[in-house]
Amino acid sequence: MALEHSSLEKKSLRLGYIPLTDCLPLVVAQERGFFAEQGLEVELCCEPSWANIRDKLIIGQLDGAQALAPMLLAASLGIGGLKKPMLTAFSLGLNGNAITVSNRLFAALHAKAAGSTALDAAQALAAVIRERRAQQLEPLVLATVFPFSNHNYLLRHWLAAGGIDPARDLKLVALPPQQMVDNLRLEHIDGFCVGEPWNSCAVAMGQGRCLVTGYEVWQNAPEKVLGVTEQWAEENPQTHAALLRALDDAARWADEHVADALQLLDRGHYVPVPVEWLAQPLTGQLRVGLDQSVRDPAQFHVFHRYQANFPWRSQARWFLQQMKRWRQLPLDTETDALAARVYRSDLYRQILADRGSLPMLDDKPEGLHATPWQAPGTRGAVTLGPDLFVDGTGFETETVIEND
Amino acid sequence: MAPHSPPSLKVMLVDDQPARAALLEQALRDHQFTVIARLSTAAGLAEQVAKLQPDIIIIDIESPDRDTLENMAILHRDNPRPVVMFAEEGDASTIERAVRAGVSAYVVDGLNPARVKPIVDVAIARFREFQALRQELQETRTQLADRKQIDRAKGLLMKHRDMDEQQAYQAMRKMAMDRGQRLGEVANNIIAVLELLGG
Repeated sequence: MALEHSSLEKKSLRLGYIPLTDCLPLVVAQERGFFAEQGLEVELCCEPSWANIRDKLIIGQLDGAQALAPMLLAASLGIGGLKKPMLTAFSLGLNGNAITVSNRLFAALHAKAAGSTALDAAQALAAVIRERRAQQLEPLVLATVFPFSNHNYLLRHWLAAGGIDPARDLKLVALPPQQMVDNLRLEHIDGFCVGEPWNSCAVAMGQGRCLVTGYEVWQNAPEKVLGVTEQWAEENPQTHAALLRALDDAARWADEHVADALQLLDRGHYVPVPVEWLAQPLTGQLRVGLDQSVRDPAQFHVFHRYQANFPWRSQARWFLQQMKRWRQLPLDTETDALAARVYRSDLYRQILADRGSLPMLDDKPEGLHATPWQAPGTRGAVTLGPDLFVDGTGFETETVIEND
Repeated sequence: MAPHSPPSLKVMLVDDQPARAALLEQALRDHQFTVIARLSTAAGLAEQVAKLQPDIIIIDIESPDRDTLENMAILHRDNPRPVVMFAEEGDASTIERAVRAGVSAYVVDGLNPARVKPIVDVAIARFREFQALRQELQETRTQLADRKQIDRAKGLLMKHRDMDEQQAYQAMRKMAMDRGQRLGEVANNIIAVLELLGG
């Protein structure tokens, strides 16, 4: 062991996180000793904003961090702030976001909806918006957490599926996750798209209803990733590898022991809400949708199965396409090379080669599968999760052919 | 110097530490910059920015509201002068100094970096000064607390170990040196152990 660890370029690491349920793999790696097993001494640093995580990574005050995948792409492009090449070789999980609206808006949607699906909800929202416009009321305000975030793109995708133009029909703002519920209570906003536990909090506090899960917008959508700068990864290849091995152990453990893992979040005061609220979506207590039904826990958090930690390059291209779609990035920007530079599926495969069968290809089609399916793997087929979009569209569906 | 210097930039300060904000506001005024608003909370930040139209916003880097400002860059419709993070190309050191000092700055798009930099520099200097002051205060507090604990530990040693004051002090100093701890830490340990035994 000692011999193996002596090759680490850096043993003491500072890793940033935001108080959200999906920082769990980092917390598990710390609290269950998976970092220590790899010879790493890690300090987990709670950060107040995504901008802080980006800036501290860039100047080297953090070695790595829980990060928004689109934020890494934006920083590499230098849009919206500092410019520095960033990368990820590890996704921290799938799903975890939801859209919650005020009680008042929920009642209005319920009255207009033709059915209870996520698409019905979006169409009902379009009807409510038309009605408000006819009455010359102020546009509705919805909040996400960061301009370059999964939340922003999922919310916009859902709105567009209902025939809503986010730029024309309502106002989108950004707020820190922990301020969402309060802003809903004060009626500064009419709804939000944010990661757990803040949807559960809003519901538990009686301030809103959870309307749509991120899963319903895009099944098993990629969520947070481990972000580092390209320079850091080049200077610390062994340390980076050790980090990935520890997080792989942690993600596997978290998937198999979700209840225990949530206790770790609570015990270490990583996320400032009662553990009962953290557990709501995973114990069938959180009611979701126009019919306020209970959902499968997998709609909220998948930490390891379905190759949840593999950084699919095609998904980086999906994020870049959204940046163009929503005019954050000029349409003619060349982005394929960038996707490959930021999303290092090659590093994942190389570092975790001995951890079972891994996806053989860097890309996967989206929007084709309603049930789990098989894709080619390094040691036999790997099982991937359902991947449908709310509007029935697909993405890069021509690039991969399923094996047997 | 241009014959007609452009109008002074309008600065907005967002800081939940009133003392630091006041210090910075004064410094900016001394440098002939115009501070149009000093907010202690970022509640309603977007509305304030739209109303007051600052050219530059200086905000504590630890403020969770930075993400709200980041988002304004894409809200052209509401904010005709989009806000971007101050990130002068080719001058990474200013950014690094700013982040280390705890300052971040957002400016309206298209503003000449040369006009912004002096303001950011003043902010960095004041934030650092404030940091140093706070650290000094913290150290003074620690010293005072240590002194109290050292006296208590000395008293306990004299009572329980039958030492005189000089011996008690020497014993503690030796322990501190052997363990590489502050005298105050050693005192805390002694108090904990002797109170446990004594109580």
